[in-house]
Amino acid sequence: MWKKIFDWLDERLGLVDLYKNLLDRPEPQGNWWNTLGSASLFLFIMQAVTGIFLTVYYTPSPDHAYDSINYIMNGVAFGWLIRGIHHWGATLMVIVVFVHMLRVFFTASFKYPREMTWLIGVGLFLLTLGMGFTGYLLPWNQKSYWATTVGTQIAGTVPFLGDFILKALRGGSNLSALTLQRFFAAHIWMLPAALAGLIGAHLYLIIKHGESHFPTKDD
Amino acid sequence: MDDETKQKIKERYQRQVNRGERFWPDSIFKDLIVSLAIFTLLILLATFIGVASEPKADPSDTSYIPRPEWYFLFLFKFLAIYGQIPVLGKIEWIATVLVPGIAMLVLTLLPFIDRTPNRYYTKRALPISIMALVVVDIILLTLMADVPTVSENGSKLVGWLQAVAGLAIPGLTMIALFLMAFAFKNISAKTMFWMTAIASVLMIGFTGSVLAIAPKPTATAEGTVATTLVDQIFAGQDLYSVNCTECHGDDGKVTKIEGVKGLEGKEIPPINGHDVLYTLDDASLAEVIAYGRPDAGMNPFGKTYNPAGLSKSEIDYIVIFMRYTWDDRFEMPAEALKPLFPPLAEGEVPSYDVHIQPIVKRYCLACHRAGKENNNFLMDSYENILSTGDNKDKDIIAGDPNSYFLQVIQGHAIPDPKDPTKTLIRTMPPNSQLKPNIVDALIRWIMAGMPRTAEDAAKLTVTPAPATGPAGTPSVTPTP
Ligand code: HEC
Ligand code: HEC
Ligand code: HEM
Repeated sequence: MWKKIFDWLDERLGLVDLYKNLLDRPEPQGNWWNTLGSASLFLFIMQAVTGIFLTVYYTPSPDHAYDSINYIMNGVAFGWLIRGIHHWGATLMVIVVFVHMLRVFFTASFKYPREMTWLIGVGLFLLTLGMGFTGYLLPWNQKSYWATTVGTQIAGTVPFLGDFILKALRGGSNLSALTLQRFFAAHIWMLPAALAGLIGAHLYLIIKHGESHFPTKDD
Repeated sequence: MDDETKQKIKERYQRQVNRGERFWPDSIFKDLIVSLAIFTLLILLATFIGVASEPKADPSDTSYIPRPEWYFLFLFKFLAIYGQIPVLGKIEWIATVLVPGIAMLVLTLLPFIDRTPNRYYTKRALPISIMALVVVDIILLTLMADVPTVSENGSKLVGWLQAVAGLAIPGLTMIALFLMAFAFKNISAKTMFWMTAIASVLMIGFTGSVLAIAPKPTATAEGTVATTLVDQIFAGQDLYSVNCTECHGDDGKVTKIEGVKGLEGKEIPPINGHDVLYTLDDASLAEVIAYGRPDAGMNPFGKTYNPAGLSKSEIDYIVIFMRYTWDDRFEMPAEALKPLFPPLAEGEVPSYDVHIQPIVKRYCLACHRAGKENNNFLMDSYENILSTGDNKDKDIIAGDPNSYFLQVIQGHAIPDPKDPTKTLIRTMPPNSQLKPNIVDALIRWIMAGMPRTAEDAAKLTVTPAPATGPAGTPSVTPTP
């Protein structure tokens, strides 16, 4: 009976092929350092899930952002846990992605044929930092307000284009409701969409080329 | 890269794969363990450390020291160190744009810059050494981020030490490494790694000395952050007591200001009634407090107008306090109704720590602190209460019911001994009358000799005749 259902599904979905191509692959002898990529992926998924819960209560306006976070922390059942995981997950994700990059660097895994995996990886790294930067402003407290003020100021020191970049980031010459709205849109739509797309490409390339082996004396 | 090398790389990889493991279950198993460990770590961090509460954003508070997220701190330190360099240091964008930009560009184009097929670490001594130096530098700069480049006495020593640790040593080492790799080609990888290691140890040493001589950060008295409604009401109560009672009284009822220099006898509307609370919504009320009523005599409290004033969050707490205490459309949450101090049993002696301090803070401190008119009677600490005041010899005398202090809080003004038609000290507080239980606590405290701690007070307590409870138990059981 179960076999029949499985066969029916397999014929239409190609489950066995999927298993053979995705999971039952041969790999070089593994190493604990190779778990950092999947750890980054896990953290990304955690951030997405907890982030979606947070948007249920969060309001992106200077008048209400602070109070809505306060409500999440004190009024919503397990709101403190969800926010706590999201907060610490962001910190951990920056560390894990960075260390993952370092391990790829030190094992020289970015060399032929994995150059594109590396290029996409740099994109992922920048997007991860971007997520941290935009997310930090959202609670609209003193720390986040002033961190964003100095952060955008730095962008404003670019010769010639600085003023334009500063205004584009802030939506005006000062931090305002527009800035918050902008950072919110970037944090929950633009950057995660780009991140998800690039992660897809990254994973495709990893499956295509296989995990690189740990370099030996001959390499 | 020619086809032959590519072919070689592929064959070598194939050999490794044949000796290797399966993705499922071998690799996935390790991945799952690490993910599970991270998940546990996240739960622990969220539960036991949590997220620190911060006051609400206040664009007018320019005294706030801005700090970026921790993972950008190293860039800030780099910028600060770089800014010390004469002449070049003035061109900010070299440090903010050019250096990070070039670093990111090199990182991105790495596979196209480092094009040899070599992967084994001894064949990559230069890139590995440089990256190691960069990583060590990033960590050390982050650690030094909070140390200023100029110490309080104006000495630039800390700044120079930081420049040596964070800029000079790694910079010079990198140049030396490049020279070794390109000018003297046959230097062994071992030499280069040793050099990197020594440079790192030196950097760590200098950073250690910077951290050792850096002034310890003093705990800055930042405004409290209240997150629950009850905490906000309490915070608002305290702020109101200190800032507003001198003119509006502890209950907002005052209609004629007394005891305030320059406003003596001024008539004001009570702020605890419908006229104020129904006509002003939260935002306008906060605005009144921030702008004050300068022409009528109420000074502004917002930081924009008064640098020593209150933050946005603090003003919000006062508004919340006023609403829940006086506005009959709001109901005070039950937990917020806790008494100012635990009620006193018969014969129990109150202590400064438990009873008197909260009373003084709420009813007296607004006027009796530095910079106010109060006959130099400061009530901000236990010592000051006992030792300041123009009439300090007569203010508080242990066991004496005629102490000025006890007279004035019971509604008896003290006449001037030289001219009995004048008053030396008015009744206190000048604009209202304390509740009987508060007066009672203050009387008991002075009559018993002003004990400071709860233990001192317990020793002075006399148990009423038929002792309650088994013998040996102290009679001052803490009242719930
Ligand atoms: C130096 C004395 C002084 C202090 C301190 C003071 N006020 Fe006032 N306040 C006044 C005076 C005087 C008025 C009356 C203004 C008028 O007549 O319109 C007033 C009026 C008000 C009003 C009514 C405004 C209106 O439009 O009816 C409110 C509300 C108020 N104060 C709140 C506060 C709060 C809250 C604090 C503490 C943060 C405070 N005040 C501290 C002197 C003071
Ligand atoms: C509205 C401001 C205000 C408040 C509130 C206030 N005082 Fe005073 N206090 C004064 C002023 C002003 C004087 C100076 C004498 C005078 O003008 O009557 C004074 C003087 C005194 C003195 C005499 C000090 C000396 O050595 O001459 C005592 C004692 C005193 N206050 C006790 C208290 C106590 C206790 C409270 C709290 C329950 C209190 N005061 C609250 C304004 C205030
Ligand atoms: C959101 C961030 C990222 C995710 C989710 C991610 C995910 C992964 C995963 C699952 C792997 C395979 C397992 C492993 O080798 O660890 C991998 C490998 C790899 N990643 Fe990433 N990665 C991220 C960021 C980066 C960054 C920042 C870089 C470098 C700039 C990078 C470069 C690479 C390369 C070159 C490989 C192939 C390694 C090999 O075959 O040995 N990745 N990544």
